[in-house]
Amino acid sequence: MGLGGKKGTVTPHAQSPSPRPRRRPKPSKQTRVKRKKKKRDMEELKKEVVMDDHKLTLEELSAKYSVDLKMGHSPEKAKEILLRDGPNSLTPPPSTPEWVKFCKQLFGGFSLLLWTGAILCCVAYAIESYFSKEASKDNLYLGIVLSVVVFVTGCFSYFQEAKSSKVMESFKSMVPEQALVIRGGEKMQVNVQEVVVGDLVEIKGGDRIPADLRLISAQGCKVDNSSLTGESEPQSRSSDFTHENPLETRNICFFSTNCVEGSALGIVIATGDSTVMGRIASLTSGLSVGKTPIAAEIEHFIHIITMVAVFLGITFFGLSLFLGYGWLQAVIFLIGIIVANVPEGLLATVTVCLTLTAKRMARKNCLVKNLEAVETLGSTSTICSDKTGTLTQNRMTVAHLWFDRKVYEADTSEGQTGKPFAKGSDTWFLLAQIAGLCNRADFKAHQEALPIAKRETTGDASESALLKFIEQTYSSVKQMREKSPKVAEIPFNSTNKYQLSIHYFENRPQAHVLMMKGAPERILEFCSTVLVDGQELPMDEEMKEAFQNAYLELGGLGERVLGFCFSNLPSSFSKGFQFNTDEINFPMDNLCFVGLISMIDPPRAAVPDAVSKCRSAGIKVIMVTGDHPITAKAIAKGVGIISENNETVEDIAARLKIPASEVDTRTVTAIVVHGSELKEMSSQQLDQVLQNHTEIVFARTSPQQKLIIVEGCQRLGAIVAVTGDGVNDSPALKKADIGIAMGITGSDVSKQAADMILLDDNFASIVTGVEEGRLIFDNLKKSIAYTLTSNIPEITPFLLFIIFSIPLPLGTITILCIDLGTDMVPAISLAYESAESDIMKRLPRNPKMDNLVNHRLISMAYGQIGMIQALAGFFTYFVILAENGFRPLDLPGIRLDWDNRLLNDLEDSYGQQWTYEQRKVVEFTCHTAFFVSIVVVQWADLIICKTRRNSVFQQGMKNKVLIFGILEETLLAAFLSYTPGMDKALRMYPLKIAWWFCAVPYSVLIFIYDEVRKMIIRNRPNGWVEKETYY
Amino acid sequence: MTKTEKKSFHQSLAEWKLFLYNPSSGEFLGRTAQSWGLILLFYLVFYGFLAALFSLTMWAMLQTLNDEVPKYRDQIPSPGLMVYPKPVTALEYTFSASDPATYQRYTNDLHNFLKSYSEGEQKNLTDCPDGSLTEQKGPVYVACRFPLFLLQNCSGLYDPEFGYSKGQPCVLVKMNRIIGLKPEGEPRIDCTSKDEKTATVETYPNHGIIDLKYFPYYGKKLHVGYRQPLVAAQVTFASNSTKREVTVECKIDGSPNLKNQDDRDKFLGRVVFKITARA
Repeated sequence: MGLGGKKGTVTPHAQSPSPRPRRRPKPSKQTRVKRKKKKRDMEELKKEVVMDDHKLTLEELSAKYSVDLKMGHSPEKAKEILLRDGPNSLTPPPSTPEWVKFCKQLFGGFSLLLWTGAILCCVAYAIESYFSKEASKDNLYLGIVLSVVVFVTGCFSYFQEAKSSKVMESFKSMVPEQALVIRGGEKMQVNVQEVVVGDLVEIKGGDRIPADLRLISAQGCKVDNSSLTGESEPQSRSSDFTHENPLETRNICFFSTNCVEGSALGIVIATGDSTVMGRIASLTSGLSVGKTPIAAEIEHFIHIITMVAVFLGITFFGLSLFLGYGWLQAVIFLIGIIVANVPEGLLATVTVCLTLTAKRMARKNCLVKNLEAVETLGSTSTICSDKTGTLTQNRMTVAHLWFDRKVYEADTSEGQTGKPFAKGSDTWFLLAQIAGLCNRADFKAHQEALPIAKRETTGDASESALLKFIEQTYSSVKQMREKSPKVAEIPFNSTNKYQLSIHYFENRPQAHVLMMKGAPERILEFCSTVLVDGQELPMDEEMKEAFQNAYLELGGLGERVLGFCFSNLPSSFSKGFQFNTDEINFPMDNLCFVGLISMIDPPRAAVPDAVSKCRSAGIKVIMVTGDHPITAKAIAKGVGIISENNETVEDIAARLKIPASEVDTRTVTAIVVHGSELKEMSSQQLDQVLQNHTEIVFARTSPQQKLIIVEGCQRLGAIVAVTGDGVNDSPALKKADIGIAMGITGSDVSKQAADMILLDDNFASIVTGVEEGRLIFDNLKKSIAYTLTSNIPEITPFLLFIIFSIPLPLGTITILCIDLGTDMVPAISLAYESAESDIMKRLPRNPKMDNLVNHRLISMAYGQIGMIQALAGFFTYFVILAENGFRPLDLPGIRLDWDNRLLNDLEDSYGQQWTYEQRKVVEFTCHTAFFVSIVVVQWADLIICKTRRNSVFQQGMKNKVLIFGILEETLLAAFLSYTPGMDKALRMYPLKIAWWFCAVPYSVLIFIYDEVRKMIIRNRPNGWVEKETYY
Repeated sequence: MTKTEKKSFHQSLAEWKLFLYNPSSGEFLGRTAQSWGLILLFYLVFYGFLAALFSLTMWAMLQTLNDEVPKYRDQIPSPGLMVYPKPVTALEYTFSASDPATYQRYTNDLHNFLKSYSEGEQKNLTDCPDGSLTEQKGPVYVACRFPLFLLQNCSGLYDPEFGYSKGQPCVLVKMNRIIGLKPEGEPRIDCTSKDEKTATVETYPNHGIIDLKYFPYYGKKLHVGYRQPLVAAQVTFASNSTKREVTVECKIDGSPNLKNQDDRDKFLGRVVFKITARA
């Protein structure tokens, strides 16, 4: 796996400075220029969109694009432009060839350490076999085994990641789209790719905008820009120039956004990569990303291990020269010691642990694209979350009602149950009637099986919200409409700001009822009375104030408020009266005001809880949205991003009734920053904002600004997670340490840019991700501590063999049996260990201080537990040799005779004489026994590694995989020792039962020692023991 | 690009210096003197304790051992054979009868080896009856005398050059000592030349007989002065042969409980060596 590799997909920066591969390397100067140019391009892309087409008059446009605004381009000219500009499609991000991905897995990070080990082994073997005929093949075998391990692990993680990316591929929709263009005066359907600049394009409701358009004319056109700006409501579009900012002006439609309703005619002003969307996409794929935190940790770990290895190697190199070994022998010892420090099995262990967590997270709907990203969420200290679709449901819903001078709250949760309500009131009865009848929205057909909240509707978002609300809380709107058919209607438009309809009620003296809804202040103008508890009361000043307060209150919640009124038309308007809505022939004043209904895109139910969990886990949650500040702030308050009692400068100013400039800003921890303010800020000022506030909302931000915010957080040392679903989020998603995209609502571009995908779009899954990430970090620590410990009993035999010239106590094969055999499953089983305490109650780790592997872990594993283990092994070794006739004191210095093949009458302490082979069998029996002893002490090591602070008795032995691991390693050891034929295959020999028990006292010692250590840590927080041994 | 690299190099150098010795906090290698003292003291105590514990377990283990007989003898059920002169780099003896310098090392080696078998050295030993095991109950264990003259031409008594000067070199074959080993049958060491036309092999005592009276062995401590029986092989090159190189294989024969065939152990009950006589 590419531990240590860059995260995410390849960036063109990292890959090659020039966009196209070149056969011959160009002089470096040119490359540098290219690189600079590329950099400038990126800076350019980070800037805001500049365009002036929206300011131009139609004549100027026509001149600019040299096109007739009626006839369009001639087909020939269109072809010409197509050839010049290229197709109207986004350049896909440069995809990495599979073999490059594979090589990354093979040579990234941790693998490099093993490769170095393998090469050193081969070098040692080459030296040995060059100078001596009977060189042992151990080094060669070790080199081969190391290479195989790296290769197999590389393949494993390659396939693992290939599997996740396959899931990604399925997201890609491959449907070719068509656009309706006018060329040479004729309307024709062409493929979207063939649309060129200057083309006249017609769009209608349901279309995807084929390119950036400047509208020439529009009829009730509304577009959904949410994927670009994050605004949840459809925006109306016309041919008028309304705003300096091209993103906000009405007369521009953007590539790949959707036309919701109406129709329009526009001229193409940009295609493909030069569209606003295209710029964002290129910005995204051009961003370089840093290392993942876990890759940095692994690098740090490799540094430590290398330092220890080189230190030991050099020390013993000097020592062996001092002891009189030849240069050559000393060099071989040096290499041997360095290689012995390489933990062969750790790469596989870490990979498997991460994979297990990735799988566990996938089951909880977090799909991780890159294995290393598994841990990143755990280290995250800041989450920048998009609002629409991530924190909110991206669906307008009725939130509040105001009638009878009271505010009622509606149920806005996802699984709206339509809980009972103040239904007894007559006012409610009327309000529901108006909301249901004076409403053009309707359910699409054949959705009866779906819950009401999930049904699709036609029509405007607010009307749909009202429709669903009435359907849920009152009665079937369809029946209502059948009973009281609409006889006349004035639809909503932006000048009226109201909608009116007249309905016929049978069996009533006053057969016709006029109903109206619209902007509350407009509605109020029509009213002279107000309905309170079913009684019509005159609209007095007191009532007007109550209305104003309610309107302000609901508006302040970021909700869109509609007012409702009605009047029973006099009985003179009997059945069959022809109402004329153009020349109004009915009274439209002195209406009776009924109430207000306000709507919002409500937060997802699980979000507030998730945000508070993030808070208690020390993670700062920042909202970054393209939506308006008031709505953003309301949602932020709703989900707890701005906590209930906290106030922004503006709030304080409003409360104290003083100008905002007089508020003491030092005490303010919450802030809402508008995109236009952000534009003016220097990076220092942004840093100030980020540092001095704990609760931050950025509103009206552009995609580029989202990126700047993420970079700002990273500059302050935070590990940043970004969640988002829109194209506008994708640069930030890519730049973030971990980008999290939404699986259901997310756009393809955002999914491509992200490292993790929430398959259920549930922000709460992030909390799971954080938990899993933190847990795996802790457990990896334990795994590494466990694995590293056995390094000492593996190295010391060789060291003592050199220093004291004793027969070798532990051979290469047995070392490999431990590292790649018995230690494997137990080390992996630690990944299943449950957390020791509530990991969601502590602060995120400080990437500078809290390392995966620190000197305390090394000191514990190597200096303390490892040493006890080594003693256990040596004790067993001495027991076996002594019981077979070679007493400990006769051993030092025996090495040369012992390893002399021609000396076949080596005398032991009792006068017996041994052939070379006979004593080698004893030696290999010692290797086997040393191996078994390591297994026995690793039992205790595994149990103590379960916890870092708690006692095992507190933690319990609930980890079944771990118990299986202990059994497995024991059975494997017994298998290796007792299986007939092992003496020939691996030179491992059966042991006498008693020899299994030699290491048991040391195993017990390890357990007791560590329990005492942990007890001291628990009882004396921040004491010396904790400072020196708590890893 | 290069500028930033240089800067970072300088920075890292400065960081290293600060790590080596930080004058402001008095830290040396990242620790203050007191911190170093504490951690070293800890490890001193810790390792002292471990050393003591290890010594204790070793001592306990040594208490369980018998001084006279090792606990287990199952790893050497059957003796190996060893030849003298002692091989140095390979089991090959190359000499030239006409040049004493070429076999000087061999004869010296043989003299040294046979020194303990001299009459003077063996004068306190017992003459045991031939043909049967000398089983003893102790407390005093006697060692049987191995008269050197049994080796006849290879005894060094009659020919201090051990035949090398005549082109008929002697090689001594010795069976390894194993405590308690009681050979069955009539054990003898059988040496054969791989190429009878080039050279023949004569063994002394005749037929390479190993007398049972030298068994069993009771161990270094109890069986003081024990001499193990020897067999000598003398190679005689055929006078008509021009080839002066022969491979000789010696193996234990005539005793069912002494193995002479093992795939892996080429010295278990057998030994193969090569003799080359140069002109």
